[in-house]
Amino acid sequence: MKTIACLAIFACALTVGGAAQAQDVRITTFKRESVIPLTRNKNMNATLQREFARTSRACPLDCIQPMRIADGVLTLGELELLDFLEDRVTGGTGLLIDTRVPAEFATGSILSGVNVPVAMPNFENRFRGDILRALGAVAQVDGSLDFTNAMALTLYSGGVWSNDAPNAIGHLMAAGYPANKLFYYRGGMQAWAHVGLTIHQSQNLG
Amino acid sequence: MIRATLALFAFAVVICGLIIFRPFAGNDQITQDRLDTPFEDSADTAVEVTRSATPDISALAQAAVAAAPLTVDLGTGIVQAPRRVDVARPSTDDTRLSDMTNNVLAELGFAGLEPVTTNSQAQRQSTSDILAGIEAATGQRSILDERETLEAIVITALRAGESDESIDLIVNTAAASGDVAVPEILVTSDGRVDTFVLLNNIVTQARIAAGGAAPAIPDVTPDNTAGMEVRIIQRATDEIEARFYTVQSGDSLGAISIKFYGVIGQYETIFEANKGLLSSPDRIRVGQRLVIPQLDA
Repeated sequence: MKTIACLAIFACALTVGGAAQAQDVRITTFKRESVIPLTRNKNMNATLQREFARTSRACPLDCIQPMRIADGVLTLGELELLDFLEDRVTGGTGLLIDTRVPAEFATGSILSGVNVPVAMPNFENRFRGDILRALGAVAQVDGSLDFTNAMALTLYSGGVWSNDAPNAIGHLMAAGYPANKLFYYRGGMQAWAHVGLTIHQSQNLG
Repeated sequence: MIRATLALFAFAVVICGLIIFRPFAGNDQITQDRLDTPFEDSADTAVEVTRSATPDISALAQAAVAAAPLTVDLGTGIVQAPRRVDVARPSTDDTRLSDMTNNVLAELGFAGLEPVTTNSQAQRQSTSDILAGIEAATGQRSILDERETLEAIVITALRAGESDESIDLIVNTAAASGDVAVPEILVTSDGRVDTFVLLNNIVTQARIAAGGAAPAIPDVTPDNTAGMEVRIIQRATDEIEARFYTVQSGDSLGAISIKFYGVIGQYETIFEANKGLLSSPDRIRVGQRLVIPQLDA
C-alpha cells in the first residue's frame, strides 16, 4: 500500500515538473529556431500525413539507399543540413538541390531548395553544360569544365527510399563535379517532415 | 531428397548456361553470304534505302570517304580512314522523328496538322526552368544559348527548294559541328545523318496526313536485299522463319525499319529485339547482325 502511494506521488511530481518546464519543440536543446526562417512544428500532436506517412513503396524502383553513396561524398543529417543552409547557402557558396520531379517539388520543399530534376544533368542532355556553368563551373579553352569555384551542393530527394539524389550525384560526378563539393541529405523530404521541420511552399517557376 | 534437389539445381544451372551462352548457335553463315552478295543487287531493288553497300573493303572505304566529306580533317586536309568501331557520331536527343516531321509539315502549312512539343523542346523548357531556379537562388545571371534545331534547318531548306543532296550536305555539316542534335534513328553506321530517311518520312507522313494509306510492308527476300538472311528454326511443335540483317555501311535504324516494314515506326521493334547488341538506337555499326522480327498479323 505504501509503495503504491509512493509511486502515485512520484508520478504526480513528474507530471507537475514536466508541465512546469516550458513545453517546446526546439531544433536542439540550445537552438530554438534557425537564423534562416525555419523552425519545427510546435504542435506536439502532429503526425505524418499522406505521402510522408507511407512506409512501403515498391522496390525495385524505390529502394533503401546506403549511408555512403560515393567516395568523398558526405552524407548529412538534419543538423548538418541546417549548418550547410546557414553557412554555405546563406554565404552564397552552396546550393540545396531538390532532385525530385517538378510536380513533387511543387507540393513543397526545404527552404532555398532549387529544383534540378534527376534526369537533367545526365550524359545525354545537351543542356548539361548550361546547368553546370550556372552552378559555377567555368568552361575552359579545350571545352572541359573547371570546377574550382563551383558551388558546394547538397542534394536530396523524397526520402531514404529514393534513388533520385544518389543518381543525380552519380551524374554530377560523371560530369567531373568534385566529390568534396557534393553532399547527400539521405533523409530527404520524408525525414525533414518526420521531425516537423518547416516545409516551404516551392517557388516553382515552371 | 537433398541429392535430388541438388541434381535438379545443377540441371537448371546447365540449362541457364546454355540459354545464355548458346554454344551451338553458330554465325559462320553471314560472312559467306556477305561476301557472295553482288553489290548491284541492292541498287535495283525498290526498297533499298541505304547509300552504297559494298562487300569489298577498299570500295567500302572509298564509298565511305566519298559519302562522308566530314571525315576530312579541315585543319590538316588529311582524310581520316573510316573506322568500324567508335566513329564520331552526331549528338542526339530523344526527340522522335515522327514528332519532328509533324512539326515540319505543320510549319509548312499542311492542313490538319498541329505542332506538338518535341522532347527536345520540352527538355529545353525544363532546362530554362532550372536555370531560372538557380538564378533566383544565386543571383547570378545565366542565359541558355539559342541553338539551331534540325527542325528549323529542314524547314528552311525545304522552303528554299534545296535538292536532296544539298539538304544532306546542310544537315550533315550542322550535325558535324555539334550545333544540332538529331533523332537517334537517323544516325547511320558510319556516323552520318540519314537524310534519306528524314526526307522519305516527311513524304510518308505528308501522304498519310492527306488521307493516303500508309506504305505497305515491302516484300523483302535475301535475293533482293544485301545483308539479309533467313533461317528456318525448328521448334517442338512448329518451325519459324527467323530473319537476320547484317548492317551495311550507311544504314541507320530508321533505314532498316523502312527497308523491312515500310515505315520508320517499327524501329522500336528492331531495337527491342536487338537490345543485347544495340545499347541505343544510334549505336549501330557495320557488320552487326540484327534480328528482324516478323510483325504479328
